[in-house]
Amino acid sequence: MRLGSYEVKLEKKVRVTGLEATGISLLAIVIGLALVGLIFLQAKVNPLTGYKAIFSYAFANKFGLPLTINRSIFILLCTCAFIVPMKAGLWNIGMAGQLYGGALAAFGVALAFGAKGSQTPAAAPGLIIGLMILGALVGGAVIGSIPGFLKGRFNTNEIVVTMMLNSIGYWLIAFMIKEGGPFMGGGGEGEGFKLSESVFAPMVLGWTFTIPIALGVAALLYFVLAKTTLGYQIKAFGLSPSAAKYAGISPHNVPLLVFILGGLIAGLAGYHYFAAVPGVYKIPLNYGDFGDLSFYGIICGLISQGNPLAAIPFALLFGGLTNGGRFVQGQLKMGYGIDYALLGVLMITLVAFQFFYRNTIVWKKTEREP
Amino acid sequence: MPIQHVKRGDTVLEARGITKRFPGVVANDHIDFEIRAGEIHAILGENGAGKTTLMKILFGLLQPDEGEIYVHGQKVTFRSPLDAIHLGIGMVHQNRKLIPAHSVIENIILGHPKAGSIPDLKRTREEIAELCDRYGFKIDLKAKVWQLSEGEKQAVEILKTLYRGARILILDEPTSALAPPETEKLLASIRIMTGDDLALVPFITHKLPIVLAISERVTVLRRGKVTARLRTEEATENSLAREMVGREVIFRLDHVEVEQGKAILEVEDLSALNDKGLLALKGLSFSVHEGEIFGIAGVSGNGQQVLAEVLAGMRKAVAGRVLIDGINITRSGTLERWKNGMGYIPSDRIDVGSIGAYSLADNVLMNYYFDGAFSRWGIVDAQKTRKLTERLISEFDIATPGPDTTAKSLSGGNLQKLILARVLSRRPRLIIASLPTQGLDVGATEFVQNRLLEAKRQHAAILLISEDLDEVLSLSDRVAPIYEGEFMGIIPINDAGIEDIGAMMAGLKQKVAEP
Repeated sequence: MRLGSYEVKLEKKVRVTGLEATGISLLAIVIGLALVGLIFLQAKVNPLTGYKAIFSYAFANKFGLPLTINRSIFILLCTCAFIVPMKAGLWNIGMAGQLYGGALAAFGVALAFGAKGSQTPAAAPGLIIGLMILGALVGGAVIGSIPGFLKGRFNTNEIVVTMMLNSIGYWLIAFMIKEGGPFMGGGGEGEGFKLSESVFAPMVLGWTFTIPIALGVAALLYFVLAKTTLGYQIKAFGLSPSAAKYAGISPHNVPLLVFILGGLIAGLAGYHYFAAVPGVYKIPLNYGDFGDLSFYGIICGLISQGNPLAAIPFALLFGGLTNGGRFVQGQLKMGYGIDYALLGVLMITLVAFQFFYRNTIVWKKTEREP
Repeated sequence: MPIQHVKRGDTVLEARGITKRFPGVVANDHIDFEIRAGEIHAILGENGAGKTTLMKILFGLLQPDEGEIYVHGQKVTFRSPLDAIHLGIGMVHQNRKLIPAHSVIENIILGHPKAGSIPDLKRTREEIAELCDRYGFKIDLKAKVWQLSEGEKQAVEILKTLYRGARILILDEPTSALAPPETEKLLASIRIMTGDDLALVPFITHKLPIVLAISERVTVLRRGKVTARLRTEEATENSLAREMVGREVIFRLDHVEVEQGKAILEVEDLSALNDKGLLALKGLSFSVHEGEIFGIAGVSGNGQQVLAEVLAGMRKAVAGRVLIDGINITRSGTLERWKNGMGYIPSDRIDVGSIGAYSLADNVLMNYYFDGAFSRWGIVDAQKTRKLTERLISEFDIATPGPDTTAKSLSGGNLQKLILARVLSRRPRLIIASLPTQGLDVGATEFVQNRLLEAKRQHAAILLISEDLDEVLSLSDRVAPIYEGEFMGIIPINDAGIEDIGAMMAGLKQKVAEP
């Protein structure tokens, strides 16, 4: 293309450095925010005022910040749950179903030990908490193993299976916590029962201990994918199933394994939000919102190109924006859904700007042809 | 600019100083070259010499960084292949770009400007039939493309470009997938075309005899530069090979005599199915000994690939037994076989033998990640892998910037060297080499064949599957022609005549021989 006396060309990029990727992402975020500014303008709100309100609530408010952090950690775990199968070339769209499974198993353990409401649990709280976490991991893994097994054995489409399981998980929770269900809460409000205070997840420096665990999971996952023979096999399968088969990597076991691992991490996300975030400690009425929130894990995993550490800032951003966006909606009396609009536009710009991971624009001054 | 009438010998297409750089390499370095009407101009070069890049530039698929293209003396700039097509340039790609489920005629008119409106099929058919008659293509225009042989598909591709009005035809490796009789037919048609003052650029890498048989002029490329520009009558097979590789090439290998030891691979009554679920191996029995190359000769699709996959553990046998060194491995997985001393060089080096997005070091790791010496507590020993890769790169003379380069950036020959290096470095007792030199240029072919002979000297048992009869005959100790999943006999090399084996490959003759 020719612009004035400049020749503008697209060139393929061989590789992108971490710094470049960061720059590209920041640019995408700035442009995304500028575009959403138009929505603020049509609502007769100064975009700067709007963003100031969003960011100060999300990241600098003593009520807003914990909410942001807890949501971000939840999104980060869902991202990790998405990344493991993604590296094997498979799509985990079922973090929702898996985290429901994890939550059900964790609360099942609590109920079995009588750690409900004001009752005194039948075992040491530490043991119960440990078993609850274990239950959450197993619950998520069981749900995850279904698409993994079907994929490996019968080459079933994992997207369809995981989606279906989301629905099954959703209604399974409804059955368990609504009126007459075994996990029914005391108030008859359609919520699950509240945990006994003694089995609330422990706090570290005022924050729930699942936060360091989740960061540890991300770091461990990064290490496993980058440095171990297991990560090597998963990635090889994702890049070329036929070459992986040649190298002796089992086409049955890899899908099963990655979905079990993904489900495991999603199960932990379920434990985190429902059993470890202060003020929740139950499967709430709006548990479906957290199923929806888990889908941000997909976009977060794609934007960070399957790098669990690079996913941390994105998870933080998305967690903050869902939180801050919802807040300004009330604060500035804007229409419903500003938070969804904000995240939607931001995702589109972030994904669109990935184009520059693979291409660069070259400007060349040219002399005009005679 | 309309397509002009040209006289025989006129320069129709000229390239001056074409330069194209890719990150890390100069694919075309100031290439000058011209083609004339009525002339077949062969472009010769090793894999990675820059032929494909040059052809893509001439067809508008790539834009040169420097240099100019002239068509009929006028300077042109191609923004896309469409510009080239408008000027009468047609390209027939090495990989078929046809729709198998459509008929020949539908494929030919697809994308044709006339097909925009409701196509007048009757007239179109007549026009195409006329083209067929003229150039000697015998094709049922109503047949579906999937029913055609490779040679017929090639003809459809050529017809398609001719029907688009191409006067300058670029043929990318036109004979690489064809059997000898089909090649003859194609060459005959091409000769008629040159009579019509069409200019043709068939470019052929490793089939020197065809270059000599058909072209009038040859341009030889090496590492992106033109090394020779000659009339074919002045050239010989050896002189062309020397220009292409940059050194002398030995065409016939001396037979290597090695004392044979015990049987390493024993196959008893082996049967297996192909992807369609049909019986593709029908009770094969044979054995391969230490220090022996056992050649399986056959036309592609007679069960050789199925055999290789069964032996490598990538496909299940339905009956029979496979033993390596006396151990029954019929039910073992691929990994167990690698650990038991098997090494497999697959015929599909891009999709099976390597992972394009992985670095060379990670590609080497494909046959080592399970090896205790290359990992500790499940963590890959990156240092050791890197060192091994560096060693293999230098030992096998692989042209690459280093172990961190991705495999997809390697040329075909270098990729095959990498796979060979990786497999041989494990010192396998049994090597299954499937089409190890297919698609390679003479230099790389010679290299691969010598390495296999070297492995034989070191007492490996080698099963060589090849469609190149010359290769089978010059490397093997015993030859088994395969036809429809059965051996037509197993013949010691000294008793084998090329005609006999050719006949057996066609399934014509059954010869009783020692098992």
